[in-house]
Amino acid sequence: MATNKQRDSDGWQSRLASRFARFAEFVQDTDNDAVAVGALGALSLVGAFVGFLVTSPYTSVFLAGFLVAVAYGWVRHQELAARGVTLAMTVSTVVILALISFFIFYEAWPILADRSGTVFGVPIPGLELFTTTAWTPAEASPKYSMLPMIQGTVLVTIIATAVAGPLGVAAALFISEIAPAAVREVVKPGVEILAGIPSIVFGFLGFTVLSPWASDAFSLVGQGTYLFVGIVVGLMALPTVVSVAEDAINSVPESMKSGSLALGTTDWQTMTAVTIPTAFSGVSAAVLLGVGRAIGETMAATVMLRNTPRVAEPLYNVFYGFDTLTSLIAANYGSSSGFQKDALFVAGCILFVSVLALSIGSQLIERRMDRKVGGVE
Amino acid sequence: MASATESSVVRGDTSTYETIAALTVGLAAVLFFLGLAATVEVVSITGTLAGLPTLTALGLLLVIMGVAVAGFGLISYRGIFPTDPRASAGVVAGGLFSSLWGLIGALVAAETLGLGVVGGVAGGLVLGALAFFATALPREDIGSTLPAGALAVFFGLVFLLGVVGPEWSWSPANFPSSQSVTFFAATVAPFAVMASSLVVGWAAAKAYGGFGARGRHLGAYLLVYLNAVSIIAVLIALVAFVVFKGFGPVTEGVEIGLGVGPATTIGLFGFGFDVVWPVSWPFLTNGASLFTDITGVFPAIVGTIWLVIGAVVLSVPLGVGAAIFLTEYAEQGRFTNVVEIATNALWSTPSIVFGLFGAAFLVPRFTPQPQKSLLSGMITLGFMLLPLVVITAREAMIAVPDEYRDASAALGVSRWQTIRSVVLPAAMPGVVTGVILGVGRIAGETAPLLLTMGGGSFVGAGQRAKVLDGFQLSLSPPFVTNPELTQATTALPYQLYQVILTGTGQTAGVNDVTAFGWGTALVLLGVVLAFYAVGIATRQYFRSKLTYE
Repeated sequence: MATNKQRDSDGWQSRLASRFARFAEFVQDTDNDAVAVGALGALSLVGAFVGFLVTSPYTSVFLAGFLVAVAYGWVRHQELAARGVTLAMTVSTVVILALISFFIFYEAWPILADRSGTVFGVPIPGLELFTTTAWTPAEASPKYSMLPMIQGTVLVTIIATAVAGPLGVAAALFISEIAPAAVREVVKPGVEILAGIPSIVFGFLGFTVLSPWASDAFSLVGQGTYLFVGIVVGLMALPTVVSVAEDAINSVPESMKSGSLALGTTDWQTMTAVTIPTAFSGVSAAVLLGVGRAIGETMAATVMLRNTPRVAEPLYNVFYGFDTLTSLIAANYGSSSGFQKDALFVAGCILFVSVLALSIGSQLIERRMDRKVGGVE
Repeated sequence: MASATESSVVRGDTSTYETIAALTVGLAAVLFFLGLAATVEVVSITGTLAGLPTLTALGLLLVIMGVAVAGFGLISYRGIFPTDPRASAGVVAGGLFSSLWGLIGALVAAETLGLGVVGGVAGGLVLGALAFFATALPREDIGSTLPAGALAVFFGLVFLLGVVGPEWSWSPANFPSSQSVTFFAATVAPFAVMASSLVVGWAAAKAYGGFGARGRHLGAYLLVYLNAVSIIAVLIALVAFVVFKGFGPVTEGVEIGLGVGPATTIGLFGFGFDVVWPVSWPFLTNGASLFTDITGVFPAIVGTIWLVIGAVVLSVPLGVGAAIFLTEYAEQGRFTNVVEIATNALWSTPSIVFGLFGAAFLVPRFTPQPQKSLLSGMITLGFMLLPLVVITAREAMIAVPDEYRDASAALGVSRWQTIRSVVLPAAMPGVVTGVILGVGRIAGETAPLLLTMGGGSFVGAGQRAKVLDGFQLSLSPPFVTNPELTQATTALPYQLYQVILTGTGQTAGVNDVTAFGWGTALVLLGVVLAFYAVGIATRQYFRSKLTYE
C-alpha cells in the first residue's frame, strides 16, 4: 500500500501525460467523423447541463444536439457510441451524487455563517445552533436550535434500533438457517412486503390508532410520543436489517457449518459458535444500516409527533414526542423562508452526514467480512 | 455427556418431568396471549377472568408458573431427573436477567421505598448485580430457572397481594406537569405479564430439553420461532386492518353491469367511438367535488402513475447504462469502488434529503417563478430510484458467468454486441425485479413530494395532471413546453398526508375525512403491494427457471 502511494505521488504528472498520450492515440486511430460527433455530443451535454444550471431556455437546444449526435453515432459507429453513452451515464450518475451533497450544504451555508460562534478564538460556523435549546422562528430575534430535534432523533433511533436490531437479526437467522424451505418461502416475502408498506400508511395508522391510544393509556397532555414513533420506525427499519443480515449469514461458507455439525453440535450451537461469530461484522453492518433507515424515516414521525420543537424533560422522557430532524423539515418547509429555511437545510445536512457515515461504515465492515470469508486475508 | 444427551433423545416415552415442562411452556403461551389480549382490552384488567378478578387470576397463574420453573431447576440440580446442564447459564442470559431485575430494583427503590434518584440507581445496580451472579455463577439448571421463576413469582405476588390493584396508578414525580406521564395498572400489567411469560416460557423450554446443548437449542428456537411468527402476524394485522377500514369507503357505490360506467371516447381516423365501461367505481374515478356524492382519488392516482412513469423513464436507462459501463468497460479498481460506495450511500440517504435537494435544485429551474411541479417530483423520485437501479443492474451483470462473455467473444463479435446479445438478456430478470421492487418503494414515497410536487388538499377530477394534452410547441426556445408538467399536482401518498393534516370531520365536499383517508390508504397500499407482488413473483419465476433448467 505504502509503495503504491509513493508511486502515485511521484508519478501523477507522468501518468497524466500517458493518459493524454493514450487519448491522442485513440483520437488518431478513430474515424474523423466519429471523433467529431463524440466531441459534439460531449459538448452539447455539458452545454445542456450548464444551461439547466442557469435556467436558460436554450437547454432544450443543447439536449437536442446531444440526441442528434448520439443517434448519428449509433447508426455509424455503434461500438464507440455505446461506450461513450454508457460513460456519459456513469458520469451523470456521479454528477448527481455530487450535486446533492453540494446543494444541501450550499443552501445551509447562510445561517451557518450567520450563527457562528467562537471557541478559543476560532470561529466555528453554526455553533450557535447547538448552544441554545430554543426554536423560536416567530420572535423578534429568532432562535434556531437543532438540539430539540437531535434529542428527538436520538431517542427515536435508540428505540427503533432496540426493536429492529434483535428482532431483525433473529428473523435473519430464522430465514437463512432455521426455517424449513416451505416456511421460508412465506416469511421472506412477508418481510419484504413489510418493507413495501409506505411510511405514510404506517403514519396514518399511528396517527389514527396508536397516538390516541397512547395518549389515553398514559394520560398524556396531548398526542405524540417518541416511544411509539420509535416502535413504528423500528418496524419499518426491520426489513433492512433482515435482508442485509441474511446476506451476511448466507455468505458464511457451508463447509464451516458442516464442519461444526460433524462434531456433533446442535444447530443452535453451530449458529452461536460458528455462524454468528463469522458473520458478526456483516450482521453489525446490517444493524448500522437499520440505524440509518431509522434516522432518515420521515413521514411516520411527521404525522405522529407534535411538530412543536421543544426539549422533552427529563431527557429520557420518551412519552412526549415533539420533533425529529426529519419531521422538522417535512412539517415546516412549506411555510418557511429566509433563515428558517436555511435552518431546515442544516437539519438536512446533519441527516445526510450521519446517514452517509453509517452507510460507508457498514460498507467497509461488509467488505472486510467478504475478504475474511473469501479467504484472501 | 454425549451419551446422556443421546439417551434423552432416543427415549420413546416422555417422563412426568418433561410433560410438566411442556405444559408450563403451553401455560406461558396462554399467559402471553392473555397479556396481549389485555393490551387491546379484549380482556379487561378491571373485570374478571374465570370467576376471579383479572389481576388475581393472572397473579395466580404467574406464581404457579414461577414455582414450577424454579422447581424444574431444583429437581434437575438435586439429580432427581437426569439432565445435562452446563457449568453456567452464560453471560448473555446473565445480562438479560440482570437488566430486567435491575429495572425492577431501580423502580422499587426510587418510588416504593422513596429513596430518590440516587437510591434508585443503587437499588438497580444491587439487584441487577445479584441477578447477574445468580444467573451466571451457579450451574446452568439453577442459573436459568431461579431468576426467571423469581421474576414471575414477584409479579404474581404483586398482583395477588394487591400491591398493584386494578385502580393502581403511578406518575413519576420528576416529570414536569406539562410533560407528565401516568402509568395505570391496565397499561402496565399486561406488559409485565407478557415479559414474565416470555422469560418463563424460555426457561421451561430449556428444562424440557434437559438444559445443556439440547435445552439451549429448544429455548432459543422457541424465541426465534415466536419472533418470526409475530413479525408475520404484525404484517397480516396491519394489512388486514387497513383493508377492513378502507374496504367500505373504496367500494362505496360500485356498480357492475352493462353501461353503468363512465364513457370514454376513442378517436380513430376522425371517427369517435364512445366506449361505456361495464364497471362504475366512483372512488377510483371521481375527484373531490361538491357535486359528486362520493369523493374519490382519481387525480391522485393519475399523479402517482405519471410520477412512476417519469421516474422510471429517467432512472432506468441512466442506471442500466452506468451499470454496463462500470461492469463491462471500466477497469475494476478505485474508480468503480468509489462509485459503488457512493451509490450505496445514496440509496440509504433519507428521502427527505432528496426532497430538500429537489426543492433547492429543481423547483426554481422549470418556471420563471419557483413553483412545485410534477416534473420536479418525477426527477426527484428518479434520482431516488437511480442508485437502486445501478446496484441491482450491476449485481445482475456481475452474476452473468464470464464463460458466456468468452464464448461470445470467441465468435469474433465486438464487445458491445456481446453486451447487447449475451450479458443484457441474461441480466434482465435481475434488473426487472429490482426495478419493480424499487418502483413499489418510490410509489409510496411522500416526503420528497411535500417539498417538490404536492399542491392542493382535495383536488377535483378536472384538475388532474393532463400531461398528454399539455404539450405545446412554439417557435421560441425551449420550443416544447408543457404547463401540466410544471405545475403542482397531487399523488396518492400526498393525498393521504393531506387527509391527516385536515384531521377529521367534513371539508370541501368530503363527507367523512377519516373514512376517505382509510380508503386512500387502502388504494395506496394496493398499488404498492401490487408492485411488490409482481416483483417477488417475477423473481420466483426466474429463479425456478434457473434452478430446474
